[in-house]
Parts: sequence; structure tokens; C-alpha cells
Amino acid sequence: MSKVEFKNAQKAFGAVKVIEGLSLEIPHGSFAVLLGPSGCGKSTLLRMIAGLEKLTGGEVAIAGKRVNDVHPRDRDIAMVFQNYALYPTMKVRENIAFNLEIQKLEKREIERRVSEAADILNLRPFLDRYPKELSGGQRQRVAMGRALVREAGVFLFDEPLSNLDAKLRAHMRVEIRQLHERLGATTLYVTHDQIEAMTMADIIVLLDKGAIVQVGTPDEVYEKPNSVYVADFIGSPSMNFFDGEIEADGEEVRFRAANLSIPLEARYRGQAGKSVKLGVRPNDLHFAADGAFKGEVILSETTGAEVQIHVRIRDSDVVAVAPRTERRVHGEAVALSVPPGKVHIFDAQSERRIEPQ
Amino acid sequence: MHGTKFARTIRFIAAWLLVGLFFFPIYYWTSVAFRNGRDIFSRPPKIFDFEPTIANFNAVFGISFEGGVPQITPGGGNFYMAPRLWDSIVIGVGSTLIAVAIATLAAYALSRMRFKGSHHFVGWVLSTRMLPPVAVAVPMFFIYRQFNLLDTYTGMIIIHAIMNLPLAVLLMKSFFDDVPNEIDESATIDGASRWTIFRRIVLPMAKGGIAATAVLCFIFSWTEFLFALTLTQTDVRTVPVVSTTFVTSVGTAWGNMAALGAAAILPAFIFVLAVQKHLVRGLTMGSLKQ
Ligand SMILES: Nc1ncnc2c1ncn2[C@@H]1O[C@H](COP(=O)(O)OP(=O)(O)OP(=O)(O)O)[C@@H](O)[C@H]1O
Ligand SMILES: [Mg+2]
Repeated sequence: MSKVEFKNAQKAFGAVKVIEGLSLEIPHGSFAVLLGPSGCGKSTLLRMIAGLEKLTGGEVAIAGKRVNDVHPRDRDIAMVFQNYALYPTMKVRENIAFNLEIQKLEKREIERRVSEAADILNLRPFLDRYPKELSGGQRQRVAMGRALVREAGVFLFDEPLSNLDAKLRAHMRVEIRQLHERLGATTLYVTHDQIEAMTMADIIVLLDKGAIVQVGTPDEVYEKPNSVYVADFIGSPSMNFFDGEIEADGEEVRFRAANLSIPLEARYRGQAGKSVKLGVRPNDLHFAADGAFKGEVILSETTGAEVQIHVRIRDSDVVAVAPRTERRVHGEAVALSVPPGKVHIFDAQSERRIEPQ
Repeated sequence: MHGTKFARTIRFIAAWLLVGLFFFPIYYWTSVAFRNGRDIFSRPPKIFDFEPTIANFNAVFGISFEGGVPQITPGGGNFYMAPRLWDSIVIGVGSTLIAVAIATLAAYALSRMRFKGSHHFVGWVLSTRMLPPVAVAVPMFFIYRQFNLLDTYTGMIIIHAIMNLPLAVLLMKSFFDDVPNEIDESATIDGASRWTIFRRIVLPMAKGGIAATAVLCFIFSWTEFLFALTLTQTDVRTVPVVSTTFVTSVGTAWGNMAALGAAAILPAFIFVLAVQKHLVRGLTMGSLKQ
């Protein structure tokens, strides 16, 4: 049972507070992705679990046991570093076996575990090579192999895929996820790539400036982002936002902005008169002759199966994603509509989600 | 290589000119060692067309090739210089070993461990080299006399090691600084102790740095003059010091001096050759993703 907990954890480098009072619980066996922009403290959090950074306050616990003062080697963790940190003067085999050797395991047992890891990661042909003789993806797998043989309760990954090419990245995503299913270890995976987060995570922990903004399943953070920040961060292309007001007019509740009026669900009636931000995901915008968003196409990008169409509406740009067949030409006047159930409403001041029942 | 053929040719010529510029003095000095007095002072100077002789080597080291067989003449020639080469080798190798060993350990500590005042340490280390050596030589003489270190291998090895330490520490530190800390951290998680990390992982990575440092230390010791002059008398004498004995009241024995110099290049050259295969670039090759 290797759940990982932070209890009001704090970390400061000198006067710079990087993590301020963060509490979080990652259940045993789940795959948690720490997601956030560069410099938000993801690596720092991971290093706090690993024991490479001392907490300046609060507590970090593994398997229900406070580990603040436990040596990294005794924390039952394995870590894959942001830059792999392979031992360049050792062969792949020795890299993978290093930990087991330190543990003074029997030679037969070491061999067994190394060859098991090599099989899982398809590293067998490379066991007698040096790291410098490997490609990026192979190095990445060696780093994973080094973690794998430890049979640890908690796996820590720090942006392991960030420097690989897109194809290999997609492939490794699947491999890492399969590995997780197979081992069942609690995994914390750091990335700033929201696609990685969405595809791999059981739980997404979205961070900003050293604080948690939202914790939830990929579906939850996608469908119910709790703030403009989350809504903007998750999803690609990013959500479109409009500033306006909620109006109740007889039966109808509408969002009204300059030159824009959109029907809303009745549950927003109580919010009438409020200044809000309305958010619409690009894939929720559809072409419709009577659509509320009227504008002119300024750019049309194909991504393969889909086109991203940029539409200028007065002085704001809106992105819509449509099937490839819906191609539009530059300068064409179009109208877009959104189903009332697909809009996200945020308070204009606090930028928090407004979610009346 | 790219560029036009003309540019390539120019580059080629320039490179060889530069090599020639550096190599010519060495060639000329060495060739003087193989000349008789007339050929040394001929005007215009002879570059290639002199009559080679090993008389100088015979005089300096007592080696002759009479009958095609190398022979050591008893007494070791007029100047008896072979033991001086040996002194230089002992002092050079000994002081290099000590300086590199201490510098490596110190530099790793300076690179990785935080202790009180550690950021002042580098300045302190450097400051020991800011005094002109002459200012140190005379006090050193009295200290050495007190400790019976005058005119001994031990004394010379110690002074050369001390002279080399500051730069050796700084140099090694820069090599250790280039080893990413994540490698230490990864090994820490793997359960390795500080010493194991140092010995099994960081030290092998810093091999090139150690080789480079060793070359610098050795060459410093090999050519050092001032301390070798003041701290030795008769038992131990290094090559730079005895070179001056060829300058006498009746003239300078250029041919003999060149023979000693040419012979002195050899051990240094062999030493550098021995370590140079470790002077590889790309210390962390393959460790990181790039
Ligand atoms: N040793 C340190 N000393 C001072 N500040 C540090 C130190 N390590 C990290 N920081 C600061 O802490 C903050 C968080 O750093 P961290 O490395 O955790 O970011 P990150 O989320 O992993 O970013 P990235 O996605 O770029 O890897 C940054 O602002 C960074 O400048
Ligand atoms: Mg990071």
C-alpha cells in the first residue's frame, strides 16, 4: 500500500517560496500526473517525495509513514530523471544493475531482474552498449529499466518524454501506461504537456505557482475546469473566452456581450446581472447559418483529420475545430453556434467556475 | 569541410605554417644537440646540411655508439647528467601523483558539498598563488633547513605538489562541476554512498580531467626552476637547474645544453603520450538526453 501524501508541505529556497502549504493524496496504485507550466514546482514536488529536497515545512508520507527524514534509498521509490542521468561510463547492463549491486543482491537474482527488465523494455540487444551508443528513445528506456528493477512501491517520472520526437513520444506514452498496469505501483508523472496528462493519467494534479489549482480525472478537468486558468491550460487548441454579462429576460437566460448573444441553460437564471467570462471549446463550435458567432475566416489550418479555423469576430479571434470536409477559405463570412450545454461560465473577477445546480 | 577549393588551400597552408612556426624552434634546438661546434655557429646558419654527431650526448650522458652498439662510458661522461634526468622524473611523477590525488578529492568536495564558507574557498585557494614565488623561496629555504628537507626528493616533491595544488583543484572542480548533479542524485536513490558515487561513477567520468590536470602538473614540475635552485644543493638536482652549468666563465656549451634539453623533452613527451588517450572530450557523453 504505497499511497503518497503531502500534508501542508512547504519548500523554500532561501527567501524564495516555491511550494506554499500544499496538501495532496495520491491513492495506492494510481497514475497521477503533475501538470503545470514551466517553473511551477513540479520537479520540486517530485524531488521532495524522492528525498532529494528537504521540506521546509509540513510533511510528506509514503504508505502512511512520514518520510521527511528518511534517506532516499529507504523510501521505496524509483525515479526517472528529466535528463535521464545515466551513468555514462557503465554499460546499459551495469546501469540497470547498479542499484541491485549496491543492495548486494545475489548475482543470479540480479541477472534475472536485469533480463526481465530488458525484455519488458526491448533492451536486450543493447545491454552491452554504452549510453552514448544509444538513441534518445533507447536511453529513455534504460532510465526506465533502472527504475524498473528496483520493484519499488512508488515510481517518479520527471518529464521523461520531453525531448523525444512526436512519434516516439506517442509510443512511449502507451508503453509507460502499460508498464503501470502491469506493475501496479503508485506513479507520479510530471509533464507540462497536457496531451500526455490527458492520455495517461488516472488523476491530473494541475499546478500553478507552487499551488494546486485542480485535482481530478482527465474527464473532470476537461469537462468542468474550475477556473479560467484550468480551462485555458487543458485542451488543444485552447478554449475561447468572451467577456460579458448574464441576462434573464422572461423565460430566456442569455449571455450578452457586444455584438453577441447566446442562449444559456435555465440554471444560470440566479446569476443574472453578473459580469462573467464565457468559455467555449473549439470542438464545441459548429457551423450554422443562424449561429451567434458571426465573423470572417482569417486562417484555416489542417491537422490531418481536422481543420482548425480561425475566425475574427469584431476584434477577438475565435478558433473552431471542424472535420476536414468543412474547409473554409480566407475571408469567407461564417456563423458558428454552440449548444447551450457546452458553454463554461466563470466569474469575471475571481475567474472561478460558476456552476449552479 | 566546405568552401571553395581556393579557401581550402589557403586554410591548409595557414595551418601548416602555424605548425611549422611552433615546431621549428624545437627542431632547431634538437638539431643543435647533434652538431659539432662549427656547425652550431656557422654563418649563414645551417638548417639541414650539418654533419650529425652524437658527441654532445656522449659528453652529457656518457653514451657512445662506437661500433654501432650503444655503450655507457663509466663515469657517465664529462657532465654526468643521466642522474639529473632521473631526479627530474622522480620529482615530476611524485609531485604530480600527490597533487592530482589531493586535488581530485578536494575538488569533488568543493563541487558537491556545501559547508560553511565553501563559497570563499576557491578565492582562498587561488590567493596562495598570488605571492611572487621569490617571496616564498627564501622563507621556504629556512623552513626546509629546519625540517631537514633541503636537497631531498621528499622536499622537492612536497614543494612542487603544493605549488600545483591551487590550479589543480580549480581545474578538477570545473570538471566535476560539469558532471550533472542528477547523476549523483540518481545514484543516491540507487542507494550508493558518497564514496561509492565518487569512486564508481564520478571519478571514471572525470578521467579526462585528471589526465589534463596531471599533464599540467607534470610539466610545471619538469620546468620549475626557482625552488629547484634554492631548495637543492648536490644530492638532488633537476634538469632546469643543471642546464645552467653549461654556462661557464669560458663560454656556453651550446651543443651540450641542447643535448640535455633534447633528452629532457623525451620523458615529458612519453608522459603526455601515456595520458593523452584519456584526454577525451565529451565528459557526460550519453548520460543525458540532448
Ligand atoms: N535549487 C534551487 N534554488 C533556487 N530556486 C530553485 C531551485 N530549484 C528550483 N528553484 C525554483 O523553484 C521553482 C520551481 O522549479 P521546478 O524545477 O520545480 O519547476 P518545474 O515545474 O519542474 O519546471 P520545468 O517544467 O521547467 O521543469 C522555479 O521557479 C525555480 O526557479
Ligand atoms: Mg522540472
